[in-house]
Amino acid sequence: MTVINLLIVTAVLTLLYFLFGRQRAYSVAKGNGGIRGMHSLPTHYGALVALWCVVPALFIIVAWKLLEPSVVDSLLSSSIPAEIRAQGDMAVSLYRNEINNAVDSARISSLSDPAKQATATRLAGLQKYASYGLFALTLCVATLLGFLAIGRISPTLEARHRVEATVQGFLLACASIAILTTIGIVLSVLFESIRFFNQVSFVEFVTGLKWSPQTAIRSDQVGSTGSFGAIPLFAGTMLISLIAMLVAVPFGLMSAIYLAEYASSSARAVIKPLLEMLAGIPTVVYGFFAALTVAPWIKGIGESIGLSVASESALAAGLVMGIMIIPFVSSLSDDVITAVPQSMRDGSFGLGATHSETIRKVVIPAALPGIVGGVLLAASRAIGETMIVVMAAGLAAKLTANPLEAVTTVTVQIVTLLTGDQEFDSAKTLAAFALGLMLFVSTLVLNVIALYVVRRYREQYD
Amino acid sequence: MSDAAKEAFDALKETVGRVTVDDPKMQAQNVDVFYGDKQAIYDVTLDVAKNEVVAMIGPSGCGKSTFLRCLNRMNDTIPSCKVTGDITLEGESLYSKDMDPVLLRARVGMVFQKPNPFAKSIYDNVAYGPKIHGLANNRAELDDIVESSLQRAGLFDEVKDRLTAPGTSLSGGQQQRLCIARTIAVSPEVILMDEPCSALDPIATARIEELIDELRENYAIAIVTHSMQQAARVSQRTAYFHLGKLVEVGETKRIFTNPSHELTENYITGRFG
Repeated sequence: MTVINLLIVTAVLTLLYFLFGRQRAYSVAKGNGGIRGMHSLPTHYGALVALWCVVPALFIIVAWKLLEPSVVDSLLSSSIPAEIRAQGDMAVSLYRNEINNAVDSARISSLSDPAKQATATRLAGLQKYASYGLFALTLCVATLLGFLAIGRISPTLEARHRVEATVQGFLLACASIAILTTIGIVLSVLFESIRFFNQVSFVEFVTGLKWSPQTAIRSDQVGSTGSFGAIPLFAGTMLISLIAMLVAVPFGLMSAIYLAEYASSSARAVIKPLLEMLAGIPTVVYGFFAALTVAPWIKGIGESIGLSVASESALAAGLVMGIMIIPFVSSLSDDVITAVPQSMRDGSFGLGATHSETIRKVVIPAALPGIVGGVLLAASRAIGETMIVVMAAGLAAKLTANPLEAVTTVTVQIVTLLTGDQEFDSAKTLAAFALGLMLFVSTLVLNVIALYVVRRYREQYD
Repeated sequence: MSDAAKEAFDALKETVGRVTVDDPKMQAQNVDVFYGDKQAIYDVTLDVAKNEVVAMIGPSGCGKSTFLRCLNRMNDTIPSCKVTGDITLEGESLYSKDMDPVLLRARVGMVFQKPNPFAKSIYDNVAYGPKIHGLANNRAELDDIVESSLQRAGLFDEVKDRLTAPGTSLSGGQQQRLCIARTIAVSPEVILMDEPCSALDPIATARIEELIDELRENYAIAIVTHSMQQAARVSQRTAYFHLGKLVEVGETKRIFTNPSHELTENYITGRFG
């Protein structure tokens, strides 16, 4: 009697009710001057009956499954021996775990202690009752409500409105899942950040110039007091993002201009997907490309002209990241350039402007807001990018503007703070949440600005 | 088309009326235009005289816009389009190798069906052409060109206080006059107009029609229009196109009062179109 079986039975029941409801609507229609005499089509009546059957059933199943554990818990607690309960919550939960495992694997008899066996037997019994109860309740309610709904079918019942309102509500519920998830993420990050800021002052975090998150585990440890100044991390992020944008914006924009204005349709059909393929390469591949190919190459070139280059340089990470986000810039710019009305180009050609004059002085200025939006989206992508910098940028939080040195970024630090075995109540790990929050806020602001700009641009021509 | 009209069209070998003029600005001779395999214009010969407005009328799809766009090689932007025959401007062949289409379009300006101001200020819209052709040596000269162009387009008084406002902020009729000012600003010799009033209300249309009449003093003008009344009001000669053939050309007054060809008569009496 698993939930899956129950769902299958409910589905069959729903289907049957749909057919009954529709059939009933046809026969009611006969006595009322045909289908045109009814408010809605027979399928709407069928669907309404089916909804009356399936929605309460699903509601019951979900509610039951949510409540069942706590109800079973409280019923079971009386059969847990008093001496265990006296030892506190830890002991009770340990005891419960053992019982649960035994029941789940159906090996109650393997338990040594007769008291435990008794509890386990009781638990198994409760679970059995619960599943029977759920089964019976669900099917009874579904059958009863469906039956009542069939009885209410009449020419004046506004079945279509109700079915469509339900569908709309369902769609709304689906849409809100994404929103709720976002809210959940923000809240969890926010609360952990607040815990962090209870230990480290906010001012120190946003203005401090030294990042060294090692905190002492034992009081007698030396040299690990921990300092949480996030400025070097954000400076590193900005440096790498800036390098990336310096690569992505010119190349992306120019490929967009070529694709939108000059390329023949056959060239476009080949080049555009190839360019967009860059966005499909896993970032970890970019990461080892940056770390194993580009970084040594830059180091080699730098040293051959007498510069000292770190083997994990900001330049290598930024260049490769720039390549990665070219498609973001080119694809969006291509769209907005193509959206500039042909009549505007004709107007410019008609005045004797050359193609390049037309592009530089008419098309690009007209498309500029959209291009800016695309660039901002690419920038927020660059700031949040993790894998490339984890592999190709360094770990040392150095405050520098020299792209040949190793720098670290916010995302890299989040990864290093949270990977491996960590306690989740020290300032060190909580710092990751504060960093995440800052990162989230900055990319969110960029995204909002970008979307606003892009929307303004769309309104202009639609 | 009735059977009789179809017969008359099939029988049409040569344009009715006089296609040439005594002092031609532009001459089109035996022009055929193809879009890929499809022929859009059949053997059209037509002159555009100096200081004259020639109107091209005809039912939708008759090729009048296509023909107009041949006169400043705007069809070059359509890859599948091929033009044969000869078109000359002051005796120079438009489609010869020596002719630069970019320079040609500075001499033969074009005003389009839908007002298409650039996403720039009113001033920059007009200054655009003079700037790219280097017509002004300094800011003062450019200001003069912009002002006189707007004045000749009859727009200056309405916009003189807001020359920095975007061109798109103007009303439809004002936008179209801005586009005309923009065209005048590069001092063309010929102005082509492709249904310049089709997106405008009657009052704005009347303003543009007056303007066209004034512009005739300095320019040769070829206008494509769907409105026979407009052709009658603004033009001195009218050319009637039908399914890619130039059916009849003549003085506007004669075409509208006493057309020679059956198809022309059918069209202007409203039997089709």
